Amino acid sequence: MSNIAGKAYAMNVITPIPWWKAIWQHAAFKFVVRFPSNLKGLINLSLIHYARWTIIGRNSFPHLAPSQPKEDLHYSYMMFESNFNGSWDQYIDSFSFAIPEGLDLFWRFNIGYPKSIPLHGFYNYIRFNQIETDHFYNAYPCASSNDVKSATHLYDNLKDFTETSLELSDEDFEQAYNALLLDNQQYLGCMEAGPSLSLKEY
Amino acid sequence: MANTSGNAYGLTALCPIINGHTNDSNPLYKAAGESHDKEVRRILQALPLNQESPFANTDNTYLARLFILNDVFFQQGNDFKRDQLKSKYLCFNSNFHGELEPYLTSLWNNNENQVREIWQHCVAFESVSNANDFVRYIKSCQLTTTLFFNGSNDQPVAEQLKALYVKQMFSEFVLTQQGKSAAELKQAFKYFLQRVQLNDVKSPSWKPGQTEVAL
Repeated sequence: MSNIAGKAYAMNVITPIPWWKAIWQHAAFKFVVRFPSNLKGLINLSLIHYARWTIIGRNSFPHLAPSQPKEDLHYSYMMFESNFNGSWDQYIDSFSFAIPEGLDLFWRFNIGYPKSIPLHGFYNYIRFNQIETDHFYNAYPCASSNDVKSATHLYDNLKDFTETSLELSDEDFEQAYNALLLDNQQYLGCMEAGPSLSLKEY
Repeated sequence: MANTSGNAYGLTALCPIINGHTNDSNPLYKAAGESHDKEVRRILQALPLNQESPFANTDNTYLARLFILNDVFFQQGNDFKRDQLKSKYLCFNSNFHGELEPYLTSLWNNNENQVREIWQHCVAFESVSNANDFVRYIKSCQLTTTLFFNGSNDQPVAEQLKALYVKQMFSEFVLTQQGKSAAELKQAFKYFLQRVQLNDVKSPSWKPGQTEVAL
């Protein structure tokens, strides 16, 4: 089992949804895609690298050969897979406090969904339906999602600075350098390996 | 409904695992009644991690995972029906930069032995003998993502890693240059540029899956 790779945690949750309500759930996601302001809470959380919701129709499980028995399911299923920074507790807490309406929209039609508040029921729901990861790979174990984004900004700004500053006099260079630091102070900071999490937080 | 967000691609594939036991010649497995899903899980959990992971040398993998869906969960209550899957599924989930076909081709070309070792326990994989077959196979197992949220960015992994390397180096540089004269600062910055080679994305840089940030 390996839900953690450096600073990233891999979460897999699969939940049943009545097939006719899956159509409504599709519509809810289409609404979110069309009006991305509904994702503002997720963006503000800023601890997610990538996350996705996939609705699997009850007749849509891959069937590759006659030797494989066909699934015969009452429900469709929704698979949620997230790559985030921090521990399980921190993630669920942040989700529940920051975007309770968003969570209710994303899981609204799923069977047994208790709503995101109060927190305890939501904790139990996610834990009950979570599947452990067997192999998890992260290209940058020492970096958070914010590190990746800030590094990209800093890298671009540093290249621009280099193109315009090297021919300046020493004093003008110092002034330009200080301005660069002032403008990019939010992108600076050294990275290290993430803190160890206790087994409880896996 | 899309598998992509800008240049980032979200792949979800459910590959059915063969029901029953392996035909492995190892008598220990037979004696223990080793099933295909157990064998796959054993292989997945023994895969090397981080820089040694097969995904570290698969071009442009941001984050990837493999796990086994044994069954779906029964939501307890009298009003709910009980579902049980007839197959177990190997779930392959990857977030990467670029197009699906070159990505899967890179996975196969750089890790053919490991790919074969893992997927040999999946239904119909015996028909896969080259990269094109593998691409076709994974596509036949692929699910369409309903909502893909990209909270990072969609640049190539090499550029992200270079940016992280530069961020680390420049942050150290800023710390060590405090209080220096203007002339010393400019001289040191020129030396810094020589060292980090801003315009060379490949080197020096962080390596995919690198777990230490030694300067």
